[in-house]
This record gives sequence, structure tokens and C-alpha cells, in this order.
Amino acid sequence: MNILETKAICHDFSGLQVLMDVNLEVQEGERHAIIGPNGAGKTTLFNVITGTYQPSEGQVFFKSKEITGLPSHKLVRLGMGRSFQVTSTFTWLTAFQNIRMGILSRRGIRFNFFRFLDKMDDVTRETDAVLKRINLDGERDIPANMLSYGKSRSLEISMALATDPDLVMLDEPTSGMSVDETHNAVALIRRLTEGKTMVIIEHDMDVVFSLADRITVLHLGGILASGTPDEIRDNQAVKDAYLGEMEV
Amino acid sequence: MSKTKRWIFWIVMLIALVFYPKVFGIYYTNVFIIFAIFALFAVSYNLLLGFTGLLSFGHAMFFGVGAYGTALALEHVEGMPLIASVLMGALAAIVLALILCPIVVRVSGTAFAMIHLAFGQLMYVLALKLRGITGGEDGIGGFPIPELNIFGIVSIDMADPLNFYYFAVTVLGLSVLFLWFFTKTPFGSIMISIRDNANRVDYLGFKVPQSKAIIYTVSGCFAGVAGSIYALFQNLIAADDGFHVMVSFAPIIMTMVGGIGSFFGPIMGAGIFGIIEELTSRYTERVELVMGLILILVILFVPMGFIGFINFVKQKFAKAAA
Amino acid sequence: MKGNLTKGCLKGAEIQALGKTAGLARFRHSFISFGEDDYMDPVTAMYVAQGIHGLAYGMVLFLVASGLTLIFGMMGILNLAHASFFMLSAYFAYTVLQLTGNFWLALLIAPVATATVGVLVERFLLRKVHAFGHVGELILTIGVALVILDGVQAFWGTENLPLPIPDILQGLVNIGGLEYPAYRLFVIGLALCLLAILAVILYKTRLGMVVRAAVSDADMVNSLGINVPLVFMLVFGVGTWMAGIAGVAIAPILTVFPGLADQMGLDAFIVVVVGGFGSLSGAFIVSIIAGLLNAYGVQFVSSLAPVLMFIFMAIVLTIKPMGIFGERE
Repeated sequence: MNILETKAICHDFSGLQVLMDVNLEVQEGERHAIIGPNGAGKTTLFNVITGTYQPSEGQVFFKSKEITGLPSHKLVRLGMGRSFQVTSTFTWLTAFQNIRMGILSRRGIRFNFFRFLDKMDDVTRETDAVLKRINLDGERDIPANMLSYGKSRSLEISMALATDPDLVMLDEPTSGMSVDETHNAVALIRRLTEGKTMVIIEHDMDVVFSLADRITVLHLGGILASGTPDEIRDNQAVKDAYLGEMEV
Repeated sequence: MSKTKRWIFWIVMLIALVFYPKVFGIYYTNVFIIFAIFALFAVSYNLLLGFTGLLSFGHAMFFGVGAYGTALALEHVEGMPLIASVLMGALAAIVLALILCPIVVRVSGTAFAMIHLAFGQLMYVLALKLRGITGGEDGIGGFPIPELNIFGIVSIDMADPLNFYYFAVTVLGLSVLFLWFFTKTPFGSIMISIRDNANRVDYLGFKVPQSKAIIYTVSGCFAGVAGSIYALFQNLIAADDGFHVMVSFAPIIMTMVGGIGSFFGPIMGAGIFGIIEELTSRYTERVELVMGLILILVILFVPMGFIGFINFVKQKFAKAAA
Repeated sequence: MKGNLTKGCLKGAEIQALGKTAGLARFRHSFISFGEDDYMDPVTAMYVAQGIHGLAYGMVLFLVASGLTLIFGMMGILNLAHASFFMLSAYFAYTVLQLTGNFWLALLIAPVATATVGVLVERFLLRKVHAFGHVGELILTIGVALVILDGVQAFWGTENLPLPIPDILQGLVNIGGLEYPAYRLFVIGLALCLLAILAVILYKTRLGMVVRAAVSDADMVNSLGINVPLVFMLVFGVGTWMAGIAGVAIAPILTVFPGLADQMGLDAFIVVVVGGFGSLSGAFIVSIIAGLLNAYGVQFVSSLAPVLMFIFMAIVLTIKPMGIFGERE
């Protein structure tokens, strides 16, 4: 089953056409990478899917239901999670407090005015468990903006997963990371997205080819090719437009 | 501080509060009441500024509306009980907040500040112009202040400053306690998260505009309670007391001076503000000048305010000891 | 900070200059008079005179609002102390006049002195809190405003101080049958001159281009290697200087008193909001309209006018948070 589908998505910014007739299909449980040169429209596509933008034309389907134009918080509740290219965590809160927000959301604790949050032991325990899984238990009480870059990106990724979504959208999770950090990040991502569907935007081809089950190549706002890593590797058009510039 | 120490601290504070008027006399009792009123006002304001990151230049409108609500209720409704009149003030503030919510929850930053400056001034002008209702520049005064009637058993005369002190401090104290608890709930953590990254809050599945609406209304409501007690205390409320832009600036100064990042900061700020005002007005009329200078100095050198400064010193000692 | 919002009569030279006095005891408005042999029918004359009053006030308002809107566009904050600089300049002018007896020296020196204060505030105060974001800057301007507003009372007292019009500008001028106070025409002329110079610099010189770019997107300009802090200081200084000129210009009409900043501050704020943050043309149009509305509107809608203005402004802010012509948040 296709957990995510876009039909004929077009999007423009005041006349500048950024996406043209994008038909993306993501199967449930797969790890799908979206690659393409800068300006191809990858993040815009993400924004359309995750509710930040309403597409000029076209539709988005999630779990077979149409979600075009729904606001982000609704999509999150339907089972989507997202990480951002520019780290978007709670700057002054500690790693613990950051993760805790995700746990609260997952448990539906939103408009609770009745209990001391710090005394909710089950929430605390769950948060600590998550911190351990992402190797941040040592940084539990450190504010997010004081974490090392690699750790803050780990935090960012786990914020995407905090609500236990079925579909995880990761926007360049390893951007700016060293080789070692990237290695760790890939292992973390693989571990955390077990049993989930993942769509990832990436520039680092090593990451793409080691993680992805299928790859879609975006070029100038349209889909150039879509298929398994081998198919993409051998695709001439892709090589000419994009991979030729990169070393695989 | 360990838990027992903390409890002892608060119990001592409570005892001090109870015996304060006996020790310091009527003049300082009244000074304390003013301090308490502005402490609540500043705490309610900090809910928006320090906790949610929303800067408003018009918080006076809730203060003023609460004050006028109470005054008008007592003036026009025969036999209005005391506590009910305070509730009327709070209700008026809540209504105002709810009316403004749809506009206000969708903006932040400078736009939020500007809209509130505009609305605050609008309320000020309205208070001046609608003489029929508000008494214009002269305001409403001399309205009857009923006795405090507890369950029909005990009746306490509010004309006695001592009685009023206990009444006011109880109401204001309970309000502060409520707000403190409010910040400690799960919803309270949403507030702080919105301050840090409203976008991420949205992407975690929380409804940000609705959350802001609740925070805004709670903040406005308790500013109204502060205003209400103010009206009762003075037995007078006029446009300049309630809605003037200085009344909007006061909690900002108090919060910055006391410490924007902590719950108790604004209370300290109100205290410091009160002390400085007392001291300064003995020597000169230029109180606002002193306030302005202090505000500038605080922002430049101690932006985390008094409480922030204390924390900073504590950390230094902790490091030195370690 | 509680000003006298219902300033009425003019004093001094202007009364003497007028033969007859027909007073309109309202803030910002002054007398009209027509000579004995009028060519213009009195009713028309009154309308025209009111119009020119409105124009004069609108021009002064624009001088203040333009600085405010440029600073907002560039720094993203509304300088709450701007109107107090306007007032400060009037006080400086008074002192210069006391010392030298020369109005023109006052007109020259006071705005420069005010601009200097402004630049010092920008350089040593605002810049330091820049790191804290807009919240810190806005609150700092409150502090500065309080210091100036109260400070002038410490140095100059709380009385209304007169600033007499120089002899050259006293008296009436005959325009098409209407005899109109020369001083106000001077004010309009002065403002138009400054406007023209400002426009030429902004639109015809390289410096102007840099400033316009900085007002529109300071970060971008920074990455082009231009010394943005210097541009900031320049715009702040010039904006404050213009407010200073406005202060000296209006002082003879309103006299110098501590409440001078209140009404002007409010009006300038309204202009910037409605006209658009960072938009000079917007500020100009709205200033003129506001001036004319006040001149005419006062007669017809008198007590409701300020309320309507605010409601209108609140609506604008709600629908278009960047003001009618504004582009930048």
C-alpha cells in the first residue's frame, strides 16, 4: 500500500514555478530518498506534504486519505513527523525537556492544567528511555543550544520521531556533519525508523545508497526518475543531470 | 534548597505577611498592598513575556478593564457582594481577552507589541471619551465598598485598612499561587516551548493558536483581578490610573528589573520598583527619570534581572567551591 | 508623561501679528484671520486656511514619521523614544534662543544636537542589546523615552516655554485673497525642501541606494560587505535630525512643554502603522491625509475622531500587520 501519494502537485511562488506535476509514491514501510540538485524543489515538496504550504495544484494522500492543505499539527496527529534542515528544537530547554514535549504530544497530554508536570513519573521514565535510545542520556540536562552539532542533529531527528509517527520526513538530517557523525546518524536513523516509513532528503550519496530502498530524483521541479538504487545508478538521464556531478 | 527548607521558608513568609501590618503600621501596610497589586499585575504580564515570549505594550487595558468592571458593578448594582465585584472585574478582563484573541494569536514579535500599543491607546481614549459610562478624566469614585461576607456567617468591614489588607493579600496571593501552579502543569511547558520555537510546537501536534488564546486569557484575567483590587483600594478609578501607557510600561520595567526568566522575578521587580519609587519621591519628583535610567542599566548590564543576577552569582560560587 | 492634550491658544508674536483673532482652541490648530479687504469669500477662505493648517501639520508629522518608519524598516523596531527626541530638540532650541537670541541658530544647532544624542543612543545603547532581539531593543527605547521625557522637566521645568517666531517670518502673507500666517508657510516650505533633498539623496545617489537596501534587508546588505553598523548610525542620526527639525519648527506654534511628545508620538505611530513600516511614500501620503483630516475632521466629527483613527489603525494592523504600504515584517 502506498502510505503517501502525491498527485500532480504543482507549486509556484508568485509566478516562479517550483514544482511541476510531481507524482510521488511511497510504499508503506519503505525507506525512500529524494535527491536532486539544489533548487530542484525538494524542501518545497516536503513543505507541501507536511502542511506548511498549500500546493497551487494537485493533491496529497496520506494513508489513502486526502490531506492536501491540512495544517501541520493535524498531520502530526494523523501520524506524520518531520525534521528540519535547520535545527528546529527548543533552544533554551534541556534535551530532556525537548523530548518530553514530544512524549506529551504522543500521549495526548495537551491541555492539561491539573497536574504537576515534574511529578508525572511515567512521562519522566519514558523521556529518559528515549534519551537513552538516541544516546543523549549524558546530555539530559544540557540546553539544546549548547549541544554539539552532531548531538543537536540527533535531537532534531528524534523530535521528528517523538510523536511515534508512521511516516517520518527527514530533511537533510546529516547536513554539516563530519564523516564520523554521519556514520552514527545513519545508524541511529536506521534503528529509530524500524517498522516505520521514512522519506529522506539527502545530498550525501553514501547515506542515500546505504539507507534507501527506493530513490526519487527531482530536477527543476519535476520527477526525473524513480526506482531502486541500482536503477537510479544506471539511469543515464540522472547521471547527466545530477550524479555525474557527484561521486558515487 | 531542599524540600523541607523550602517549606519552612514559605511558612516564615506567611507568618511575616500576617504580622506585617502590626509591625509596620498603616502607611506601610498600604504601600504593601500597592506592591502586591502590581506584583500580580507583573506576574500575569510575565506569563506573556517571559514564559511565552510575547511582548505587549498594552497590558494596562486588562488592568483598567478589571478596575472599571469592579467599580461599575459596585456603583450600579445594588447589594453587589464584594467577592462578586472582584469576579466582575475578572470577567470583564476575560471578555476583553476573548474578543482580542482571534486577532492576537496569529501575530507575534513586533506586530504583537504594536497591536497592543494601539489597542491600549484605544482603550485609553475610549475611557476618556465615554464620560457617561466611565466618568471620563475624573473616573468613577466613591462607590460603595461592601463588607466581606463569608458564607453569611462573618461580616468584615472593609473600611478598616487592616481588614482590607488581609482581604487584598489573600486574593492577590491566591492568584499568584494559581499562576505558579499553572506554569508547572503540562500546559505550562507548552507555553515555554512556544517561546522557544512556536514552529516546532506546531510540528509536534499541538494547536498553537488555541494554546496562545488560553495563555492570553489567563494573563488578562489576572491583570484584571489586580486592577479590581486596585479600584477597591483607592475607591477610585480613572483613565490615567487604569489605561495610561505608563501603566502598560510599569510591568515591563518590573519584569525586566526583577528577572524575566523566572516566575518570581516580576514580584521582586515590583518590590524593587516600589522601594525605589518610595525613596526617589522623597527627594525629587523625577521618579520616571530614575525608572528609565534603571531600566536602561538593567537591560545593558543585567538583562536577566535581579533574579538572574542572583543565579549567576550562585553559579560562580558553586564553581568556585567545586 | 501625561501631557496636556487640549492645548489651546497661541501666544506671543503670532497673536500680535494678527489683527483679529478667531480662536479655535484645539491642539495643533491655530488662528485664522482674514484682513478687511478680502477677495476670497470668507467661507472658502476658511476652508483653504484650514487646508493649509492641515498641510503644515501634516508636513511636520511627516518629518517625524519618516525617521520613525526608516528606523523601523531598517532595524525592525519601533523607536518609542523618537517622539521624545522631537521634543528634546524643541527644548534645545529654546536654550539656544535664550543664549543667542537667534532663531536661525536654534534651527541649525538644536536638531544637530538632538541627532548627536540619537546617534550616541544607537551606538552605545541599542547596539549592545541587539543580540537580545527586538524585545530588548523595544524595551530599551522605553527606558530612553522615559529618561528624556522626565529629564527635560528636570532641566527646563514644567512650564510652557515660548519660542518666538523670528521677525522675518512674522505677519501675514496674501495668497490669492487669503491672508495667511507666514510662519506656517515657512514650515511647509522647509519641510518640502527637506523632503526634496531626502528624495534626491535616497533615489539618486549611491549612498541612498545603500540606505534603501539596508532598510529593506539589512542582513543582505551586510553580506555584500557594506558597513551596516555605519549605515544604521547614519539613518538613525538623520531620522532623529529630521524629528529635531520638526520639533524646532512646531515649537513657536505650540510652545515648548513636556507634553509635546505625547500627541506627536501617537500621531507618528499611527502614520507609520497605517502607511507601512519602512515605506516613505506611505508615510508621506498618510501624514498629509492625517493632517488634513485633523484640520477638517475636527470641525465635523470632533470627539469621535481619535477613536475612529484608532479603530481604523487596529483594523489595518490586524489585516495587514505590515501596514498598508509596508512590505517588511
